[in-house]
Amino acid sequence: TVCDFIFRLKGILEFACQLDNPNGVQSQSTISKSFQDLRSKVTSKNIVFTVCNSPVLIWPNTGFQSSVESLTEASACGDILQWIESDDGGSKKSSKKKDKKKSGPTVVNMKLLFEVTEPAGNTAPSLIRVSTQQHCVKMPLPLDCALSVTTDERLETVCTGLVEALNKQLADMEEVVLQYRKGSSFLVPQPFHFQLPEPAGLITVVYPAGVPDSQLQAVREDLHRKFELPCDRPYLRRANAFHFPDAAYKDGYLRNPHIHLNPPNIEDAKLYLVQGVYSYHHYMQDHVDDNGWGCAYRSLQTICSWFQQQGYVETAVPTHTQIQQALVDVGDKEPRFVGSRQWIGSIEVQAVLNQLLGVTSKIMFVSQGSELATKGRELANHFQTEGTPVMIGGGVLAHTILGVVWSENTGQIRFLILDPHYTGGEDLQTITDKGWCGWKGPEFWDQNAYYNLCLPQRPKSI
Amino acid sequence: MGRSYFVDEAVEEYLVGIQTAPGSCVTGLLAGQSSPQRDFVVLAVQTPHRESEGQPKASRGVSPLDDIDVEWVTEHAKQVSRMLPGGLCILGLFLVTPPELSKDAQNALKRLIFAMDKYITKGRLWELSEEDVTDQVTLHICSKTKKTVCKTFDVKDPKSSAKPADWKYQTGVSSSWPMLSCSVAVDVQIPMTGSSSDITDKCMKDGLRRWAKQIEAACCLINGRHALDDSELVSGQKKNPKTTHRQTLPARIFVSDAELDERSSALVQLCSGSVKVRGVVHCRAYIHNNKPKARHAAQAIKRDIINTVCSRVEMFLEDLLINEGSHKGLCSGQQALPRRVFAPVPVSGLSVCDYMFPDESTADVAERLKEMLDCKTPEEDIDTSLEGNQLFSNVCGSEITESPSDDSSKHVFSEVQTENPKNQKAPQYYAGVAITAAVALLATATSLLYFNE
Repeated sequence: TVCDFIFRLKGILEFACQLDNPNGVQSQSTISKSFQDLRSKVTSKNIVFTVCNSPVLIWPNTGFQSSVESLTEASACGDILQWIESDDGGSKKSSKKKDKKKSGPTVVNMKLLFEVTEPAGNTAPSLIRVSTQQHCVKMPLPLDCALSVTTDERLETVCTGLVEALNKQLADMEEVVLQYRKGSSFLVPQPFHFQLPEPAGLITVVYPAGVPDSQLQAVREDLHRKFELPCDRPYLRRANAFHFPDAAYKDGYLRNPHIHLNPPNIEDAKLYLVQGVYSYHHYMQDHVDDNGWGCAYRSLQTICSWFQQQGYVETAVPTHTQIQQALVDVGDKEPRFVGSRQWIGSIEVQAVLNQLLGVTSKIMFVSQGSELATKGRELANHFQTEGTPVMIGGGVLAHTILGVVWSENTGQIRFLILDPHYTGGEDLQTITDKGWCGWKGPEFWDQNAYYNLCLPQRPKSI
Repeated sequence: MGRSYFVDEAVEEYLVGIQTAPGSCVTGLLAGQSSPQRDFVVLAVQTPHRESEGQPKASRGVSPLDDIDVEWVTEHAKQVSRMLPGGLCILGLFLVTPPELSKDAQNALKRLIFAMDKYITKGRLWELSEEDVTDQVTLHICSKTKKTVCKTFDVKDPKSSAKPADWKYQTGVSSSWPMLSCSVAVDVQIPMTGSSSDITDKCMKDGLRRWAKQIEAACCLINGRHALDDSELVSGQKKNPKTTHRQTLPARIFVSDAELDERSSALVQLCSGSVKVRGVVHCRAYIHNNKPKARHAAQAIKRDIINTVCSRVEMFLEDLLINEGSHKGLCSGQQALPRRVFAPVPVSGLSVCDYMFPDESTADVAERLKEMLDCKTPEEDIDTSLEGNQLFSNVCGSEITESPSDDSSKHVFSEVQTENPKNQKAPQYYAGVAITAAVALLATATSLLYFNE
């Protein structure tokens, strides 16, 4: 089932309670009582969903009321789109139609608000004072619920579903808060969304802030069992969190530029691509002028970004200096290597992946470039089982291979290449138009040079 | 290019009718609404006579101008600003002088206007925005010729000099101004880190400021429409001076609970207690009808919401200080804050408001309206129905555990025999009479018993 829409509701509810004795037996029931009050609040008539960038307000708990006459109980959720002002004003004009691919479900962002007008009574205010010594606890709960729906789903059903989701999330948050509380020290419960294989779909898990993934292994094992997920690759680490199509990446790197390309149409050939998400690293980024010598470093950075975003490691993508230091640390290079502008090759890439990320890699040697055309089966297998980006070095250049189109019968092959020699800015248009990320034929390689390929292997962990 | 003040004819009448003793000066306030293009003056009130504490002060200075009681003028301004609903505020001062003092009047007005602005804005819980007009008007009137000189000062700039301004009289300046209104549920929990009145005051201010920020950031619907961007306020009313019907536009306010910060753990404070402000406030705001923007209207009603809560807490604490001295601070239990009542100003029909303490009556309100706003309002015109009376005995020390998040599951209702805080504000006619009668009755009954035996 393809979902056309994701309705995402975000809001902040303040959790507050007063504890006489944080270590006493009473405190748990006090905390639970406060959560109970919050759950009542989200089922009350006072809650309102505002649709971002639109004049639409919806009161979900009053038998569906909206601020816009044309949106009623019976309205399909797709009807809401006509009211939403899009942020970008027609930037799509310049792109070539044939290269544009469907970008996935439309995200409708909503915000949770509470009405303070139209109160039930009208008794004028009083001051109520409590004079016992207490621990006053205040914690903003970052509510974030998401629902995947098809376009014909009724808006009213979506809103009821979101209210249910809020309730469930508060219950999950209460569990996490109680489990990780130590006296008067409370950890903020944070929701993360994950897109799991069908039938599970989009789910939300609440993790305690500040507790690293490594300490949440048992929680993930339970969830892997519950959702029948494979036990050898991560799905529920924080880095695996679902990236909403409309959200920009804060670090500014482009993600998966290859998805904007159409693969070559080769008869009888199949497509084998990198799995998951990587960032495009290339010359001149991060204020490092590595033009002419840093290509293998950049390919290595792209590979590291893949391991980070699939949740295998929490370490940041290493800098040139860190890469060089790692090679010194393993004894592969002399200390003066650090700060130099020396090239590295596949063997060094393999060594650094092992040293910094704990990742092992296979090395494939090709004695001349013309032979690469015969490596279709190996590369196809690699992308199918491991699905990691491949670094290839030879001649005087290094590149990243992101996939192949290969025919088992005819042997025809094309390579999806991500080129680290690009010196411009993060302009997707230029990168795809000019082939800095593009499909190349076997003639792309220096037919006489020898090549080494580094094929990183996925660790078996969740 | 100076500012333009459009002034209601009723104000002209009032100013012309001011009586001054020969050789003396009269000060007073001007109130109304400012907008970026022009200003509207709808009310003028002369400074009330101050009851002197004993001997009238001997003339200190060379001229009666030096005898102007700056403190009293600014105090009057503060009291009046509390009585103005949203959208209306003190716009400036007027000064009536005999002809021989006219040339020194400007300096006096300048001193007064800066002092007044400083005093009124102290303790305000919302910040001025870039679009807010910071000019205040000074109007000098010669008591003999009745000639007026109108100038403005930018009170944000201490070095600002007087700029000329236009002063034009018009009929029915505010007659078609729509009035926004709403009732707002307030429920603010404020932790107290100490019990002295200084700390209490600071904690209250901090807690209310957080709440005020929520209100300022809140989403607002006016008459069913979002008050966003630069859209004009749609009140559906054409400007027609003959129309006396004033439209009431309901406002709805939607808040987000708190600001998100990047902390990964809760904020925990060890407190000596907490104070909750809980109840419903009724709010009103006026907006001029010269193509007003919806967001200005939203801002006016939001500021009224913030001001009304802030004012009554301030008044309550001031009252506490007068009656019990600074060492006591707030006592435990539930205490009613003064509730808001509204009354129409004669001629313009605009609402002004006042705050009634639990032991006060509309007679007290009428008295204050006369004293502070120089307007005679019949008691029956004072609307006390908009905010409900708090129905509990205002006894200090009784533990009324109504808050569900209290850690104490015990519902203690221990009545500590403390005296009801006596209110100096109004004479306790009714309470006093009742008690006297009761005592008399008891005495009679007792004496009867004895005699019958």
